[in-house]
Amino acid sequence: MSAKRESVRAEERAVEQIVLRTFATVTGRGGDPLRWTLMSDTPVGTLGLAASEAGLCQLSFVKNEDRFLNQLLDVYGERPLLHVPRALDEARRQLDHYFAGKRLAFGLDVDLSTVAGFSLKVLQATAKIPAGRVLTYTDVARRAGNARASRAAGNALHNNPVAIVVPCHRILRSDGSLGGYGGGLPIKEWLLEHEGARAKQLA
Amino acid sequence: MSYLDVDHNQRVARLLALHGLELARHLRRLVRDDEVAQDLLQDTLLRAHRALTRLGAGANERAWLYRVATNAALNWLRDRSREHRALDAHARESGDAGGGSDSPFDADDRALLWQRVAALPQRQRVALTLRVADELEYAEIAARMGCSAEAARANVYQAVRRLRVKGLA
Repeated sequence: MSAKRESVRAEERAVEQIVLRTFATVTGRGGDPLRWTLMSDTPVGTLGLAASEAGLCQLSFVKNEDRFLNQLLDVYGERPLLHVPRALDEARRQLDHYFAGKRLAFGLDVDLSTVAGFSLKVLQATAKIPAGRVLTYTDVARRAGNARASRAAGNALHNNPVAIVVPCHRILRSDGSLGGYGGGLPIKEWLLEHEGARAKQLA
Repeated sequence: MSYLDVDHNQRVARLLALHGLELARHLRRLVRDDEVAQDLLQDTLLRAHRALTRLGAGANERAWLYRVATNAALNWLRDRSREHRALDAHARESGDAGGGSDSPFDADDRALLWQRVAALPQRQRVALTLRVADELEYAEIAARMGCSAEAARANVYQAVRRLRVKGLA
């Protein structure tokens, strides 16, 4: 059994090397590969997931496989991409539990290396907001080091590559209204309700 | 890099990102050789790029790629066994060295083909010639050209692609 598993691993390594060498030869894409997969039929629709060696680097609401793939090809223009349908099983498991209400906090490594500067600080501040709590755009801008940059904070949140796990849905307008959301406001509303958050509970 | 090349890279990157692993696994299981599997994968992508540009990507893209990859592997296996039979036949002096019509090029195209080959960038022409005419391994081509095996492979790939774009290979 364990010998069989070892030979399956050896095969997968060899197969991966073939694809990575082909990426380099044919498309010039090199460096560390990203593994991607889709998670369909969640309460918030289909999710596209991608991870580097460092962790989850993309979690997007997607219409279909092609849209997500094009997004990845654009964002990670230099990197090889591997479609591993059964990859990212830990992220999948935690998301399943999150949607089932069994857990609302994630214990996942996240790779935000495509984000820098103030935007990165905004996302790092956002990652610390616990489920059930919300902040305003101004709050999160202040925590990121510039209370007057709430618009820039909004942009950073809109471009958050790792939705849900970096909970940009927990940021609201100062008047308690929803503001914006990349996945659409109904999803933002669903997530907040699922987490038991109300505008009153500003963190 | 021309627009065509950017376009080609994007399309092939998409196919690889979507189907690369399963096609490579499929090919490797059929031919049981990493180098050959890589060659056949590249060949499959070249054909796919041409055909899908013409047909458009559809729901059966995956099935189509599998079919092309399978045929490429079967051809390779058949050619290899034919080579073996031909050698046997030669040893027996039976005179049959295998069918003469499995050249990838029609005889009429031959003169034109060599014109096109002559017009290829020098490194591509050299790499292609060493690969096809001298039947060298990429490591040997690399040694003769003073480059890496991957660079040699890339040159052959680009040469074949240019000839394909012109409808010859």
